[in-house]
Amino acid sequence: MSTHLIAFFTLREALRRRVVLAAALLTFGYLVLYGVGVWFGYRDLQDTPGGPPGLTEGVINLMLVGGLWSLNFIASVLAIFLSVGALGGEVDQGTLHAIAARPVRRSEIVLGKFVGFALMLAVFIGVSASLMILIVAVITGQLVGASWSGPLLMLLAAMLLIGLALAGSSRLSPLPNGVIVFTLYSTALIGGVIEQIGDVLESAVMFNIGVFSSVLVPTRAIWDMASAQLATGGFAGELSAGPFGASNPPSGWMLLIAGLHLALALGYAVRTFNRRDF
Amino acid sequence: MILGLTYPTAGDIEVLGQPVGSLAARAQVGYLPETFRFHDWLTASELLHFHAGLARVPAQVRAARVCELLELVGLSDRLDDRLSTFSKGMMQRVGLAQALIGQPRLVILDEPTSALDPIGRRDVRDRIRELGQQGVTVFLNSHLLSEVEQVCDRVAIIDHGAIVAEGKLDSLLSAQEIEIRAGDGAEAAARQALGDAEVRARNGRLRVRVANDEETAILVQRIVEAGVPVYDVRQVGDSLEDLFVRVAERGDV
Repeated sequence: MSTHLIAFFTLREALRRRVVLAAALLTFGYLVLYGVGVWFGYRDLQDTPGGPPGLTEGVINLMLVGGLWSLNFIASVLAIFLSVGALGGEVDQGTLHAIAARPVRRSEIVLGKFVGFALMLAVFIGVSASLMILIVAVITGQLVGASWSGPLLMLLAAMLLIGLALAGSSRLSPLPNGVIVFTLYSTALIGGVIEQIGDVLESAVMFNIGVFSSVLVPTRAIWDMASAQLATGGFAGELSAGPFGASNPPSGWMLLIAGLHLALALGYAVRTFNRRDF
Repeated sequence: MILGLTYPTAGDIEVLGQPVGSLAARAQVGYLPETFRFHDWLTASELLHFHAGLARVPAQVRAARVCELLELVGLSDRLDDRLSTFSKGMMQRVGLAQALIGQPRLVILDEPTSALDPIGRRDVRDRIRELGQQGVTVFLNSHLLSEVEQVCDRVAIIDHGAIVAEGKLDSLLSAQEIEIRAGDGAEAAARQALGDAEVRARNGRLRVRVANDEETAILVQRIVEAGVPVYDVRQVGDSLEDLFVRVAERGDV
């Protein structure tokens, strides 16, 4: 099996490419800004007397979930940009010819690339989310959101996008593939907003549109699960119903749907890439 | 197809006794693509180590093999340089090393010298001959016919996707032309001996296509027997290029 060789190769390529360096630098800058924001926000919160019990904890939580929401967004964009040309783009460029002529199965190339990108995103999410939780803990003196499930769900959402991008890349060139995957991702994002509004307005149609978009591309739903995991304390329900979470976090079934989604996307990628003429 | 990169629409192919495209077949084949595009963020040594892994070269001999091949293609002083800093010729040479890393029994070289200078070309030709002597089959795909002529034992000419001529180079080229300067009546005598298609008269000389030297001898004998004096018989060399042009333009061998 050569999957690990391709995975390691993909990881190394991602690390050496400027896109990752740029993302790392921007994320670092973002974390610095974020820290400044949290510091001032927390100071103002302490200066405001009164308020219901648990408000401070709730606001800290909201700041963390909001910060992680943007990290999740960066991770999603990174996942799409890294993998959108992984197969089709490399065939077009001719860089995959010598590799595919080796005693390597096409499925090993697809899965190796998937594992490589997923590892890359795991490092990105692991490091940046940990730093963010640490920033909030140091500034506020309260450790919130320190659970594995939140970042792991963020990774799952990124993996879904990598799977989708690889499925498209097995047939398409990078540009059309990127447009399609990004549109699907946006559909899920907007579908989530429509679902929330539908919930508030008690519009069954809007709510169902949102649910349908989550089944089509479960990235937003998975984030909603993550934010529900991260939101703790007295105001968890109310605060997570804001822009960064869902009022009704999806049930565990969504994990099954996500798993199916990933399996289907990778299955399609392997099947199509297997039959592709170089 | 031999490499499993494209699929046959019908029929079966065996490569070294294995079904085409199978891992067992590909394990015995080395390939230098015509584009010789490699991931240019790698160093030369990293590229070869990566391909050695894919080609299942045992880990303990990989480093030695990488050094040996970089030495062979004259890049041992650049082993830690990124491929993005390489010229086209250097890329092609590192590509050749890549094709040989798995000690293949069959090497497919697609235009392996297109970016090389004359010295580089001669080096590659020498390498190909050495491989041939070691019992490795080298499949050379090239438009540089003089090069093919210099290194290949067997040649196939493909025109519009079909093989139009194939065989040992000697036998393909042994069909040659001779030019005869002789007295009147030589053309009629030659036509009688060989048939119309093979004889052309040009500037008072005859151009005749013959299969081999024996045919030349017989032809001259017939002309002399017909009472026509023969002043001069000259062989007109036939190169692979002549053969190619003839085959591609007229379809005859």
